[in-house]
Amino acid sequence: MKGVLPTDRRGVRELGAEDLVGWDEVTHGVVLNSFDGIVEDVAQVAPEERPYSDFNSYTATVASWRVIKPVYNRDICIDCQNCWVWCPDTSIISRDKQMLGIDYDHCKGCGVCVEVCPTNPKSLLMFAEAQEPEDALAKWPEKKKKEKK
Amino acid sequence: MIEIRWHSRAGQGAVTGAKGLGDVVSRTGKQVQAFALYGSAKRGAAMRAYNRIDDKPIINHAKFMLPDYVLVIDPALAFSDNITENDKPETQYIITTHLDKKELIAQIPELQDKSERVYVVDCMQISLDTIGRAIPNAPMLGAFVKVSKMFELEDFLESMKRVLAKFPQKIIDANMSAITRAYNEVK
Amino acid sequence: MADKMELNEVEVWDGNYAAAQALRQAQIDVVAAYPITPSTPIVETYGAFVANGYIDGEYVMVESEHGAMSTCVGAAASGGRVATATSSQGFMLMVEVLYQASGMRLPIILNVVNRAIASPLNVRGDHGDMYAGRDSGWVQLDAFNAQEAYDLNLCAFKIAEDVNVRLPAMVHQDGFLTSHTAQNVSPLSDDEAYEFIGDYKAIDEMLDFSKAVTYGAQTEEDWHYEHKAKQHRALMDSYVVIDRVFAEFKEKTGREYKRVESYMMEDAEVAIVALGSTVETAIQAAEELRENEGLKAGVVAPRCFRPFPFEDIQEVLKDVKAVAVLDRSCPMGAMGALFNEVSASMYTTTSRPIITNFIYGLGGRDFSLEDAKHIFREQKGHADVGYITTQIQQFSGLRGPKLGFFESKRSK
Repeated sequence: MKGVLPTDRRGVRELGAEDLVGWDEVTHGVVLNSFDGIVEDVAQVAPEERPYSDFNSYTATVASWRVIKPVYNRDICIDCQNCWVWCPDTSIISRDKQMLGIDYDHCKGCGVCVEVCPTNPKSLLMFAEAQEPEDALAKWPEKKKKEKK
Repeated sequence: MIEIRWHSRAGQGAVTGAKGLGDVVSRTGKQVQAFALYGSAKRGAAMRAYNRIDDKPIINHAKFMLPDYVLVIDPALAFSDNITENDKPETQYIITTHLDKKELIAQIPELQDKSERVYVVDCMQISLDTIGRAIPNAPMLGAFVKVSKMFELEDFLESMKRVLAKFPQKIIDANMSAITRAYNEVK
Repeated sequence: MADKMELNEVEVWDGNYAAAQALRQAQIDVVAAYPITPSTPIVETYGAFVANGYIDGEYVMVESEHGAMSTCVGAAASGGRVATATSSQGFMLMVEVLYQASGMRLPIILNVVNRAIASPLNVRGDHGDMYAGRDSGWVQLDAFNAQEAYDLNLCAFKIAEDVNVRLPAMVHQDGFLTSHTAQNVSPLSDDEAYEFIGDYKAIDEMLDFSKAVTYGAQTEEDWHYEHKAKQHRALMDSYVVIDRVFAEFKEKTGREYKRVESYMMEDAEVAIVALGSTVETAIQAAEELRENEGLKAGVVAPRCFRPFPFEDIQEVLKDVKAVAVLDRSCPMGAMGALFNEVSASMYTTTSRPIITNFIYGLGGRDFSLEDAKHIFREQKGHADVGYITTQIQQFSGLRGPKLGFFESKRSK
């Protein structure tokens, strides 16, 4: 599985599938480097462009745990960032306050993003894991009318 | 090896006295040890401090000793503490008291066969007169200098001035007169 | 820039003050402390040094010893030279974090002024706290007097911070017997001391934002074992650096330290193995026995309690007939820890001397020259007949009926 952006290194391996090295090769003091090499001013570097090291959990995927997934509909989204704020797995990819999509390598399919989406219809909806995004978008519901009181 | 045992009450300055003595003696090139046995003791509790002085490094860390000198800086402890513990035939006693030597010995049976080894000095009164507080350690050092003949008074006072260098001049002067008075008054 | 202090060639310092002076000369970045008797004067004096401008670093008051060591871990992981001091109950509260510090390979220096562990409450010296640290992954150096408390602090920084060690180190001294006993101490000048220790070299420091690191990662059965093994190997191998630092220290000061100190062992027939200030008292007892009774007595003392000098013990005790190993900590249901370790060393040699165990000095109970002589004479008795004539574990200096455990099952 690859990330949504071409430079993305997320999901390069399954969790626990790394080469298990011997006692003489483990890191000093269990100190784990987040990145390979020096990264100046990391806060200004987009996550998918950071040289995450294999020790960083960013490079491990938990995607197969998911049975239903959120699908994102760009046409309805108002870029309110609610889903970005609420996602417990930082799996909403947003750049300059514009939604780009879902990080399916780390999304566990909890559905919180759908719950907090304020648009009508929602810009994020849960579909079966195997459902192709195009088919999902084709089935998107219509705007609901306000019920008269 | 010379061994000294101080009998004191916590707060009277036996530890400072023992350390000050050690400091002065070390300046003559000798090896010294100064320690005390106290812990959670409150001010006024009976306690003991110890000195050892030798030409070679002191490696005995036991509190047990056969003292050459017993310095009692609290008047009441002469009566209530076992000041003759581990006495040897040459042990010398310097006891702070307002009594004269005869009166004191008459009241302490353990000292009766040692009267030629007992010296008295009123460290309490001397410290009250000179320092203004009942801190009998400095006068006891003066008495010790006289009895032990280990130092010349002038040399001792000079070294003591350096040990006390961090204190204000007034306090140094008061200590000097306390030491000098006790040196002259011990009997 | 911190002020320097003029020191005399010979000072009269107690062990606590000597340790505080060494810490000042090391120019530590962070000392976090929660003072406890009898180690209080170390951090109290250090705090005064900071307040009076003799140190550029920070002195952090915390809410507990757990907090003190935790702050030390944080400061060391951030990239600073770090130290603190504690005793007894405070040490026990630190224990959890001691393992964190060593596991993270943080070269923190901890002055442990050894004191008995409650209950019953006691402020005096025994080795209960030192023993409680023996599996914690720290280098443990043991000072027998105030001079050594000073010297070993200087050495400890250099050992712990060495790139091949990078483990925390404890400098032990006996509560009151060393910590509150003033003796002649010859310090180095501030410049000499600092030059000996050297500048602190940070490794994987968290404050290097260009190289983000995680400290205190979780590892389960897939990684934990390898990390612990690597840490154990580092501590086992640290003896190389310890020896080198001791050699450099001797070069500088003329004062010689070894991982196992031995006294009059060249021709000794019987020996005492002990730790702390007792070692020196035992040396004097041995000297007097040699002079007055012709008893060939010697003394052996692990300067380095961890890493335990297994092979050096084998070497130094190989020609002795009977050995008494003295433990100043109540083993509670077992033989003394030092006895066990010395016995293990000697069991793996062909000489296998007679070894017995004495528990002594708990809660600061006095250990006199006569107590030491009695133990030596008893060893001579074992040596003469070739078997253990007493119980294997005995209590020295205990009131009441004689207390001892276990008989030898070795054939004569």
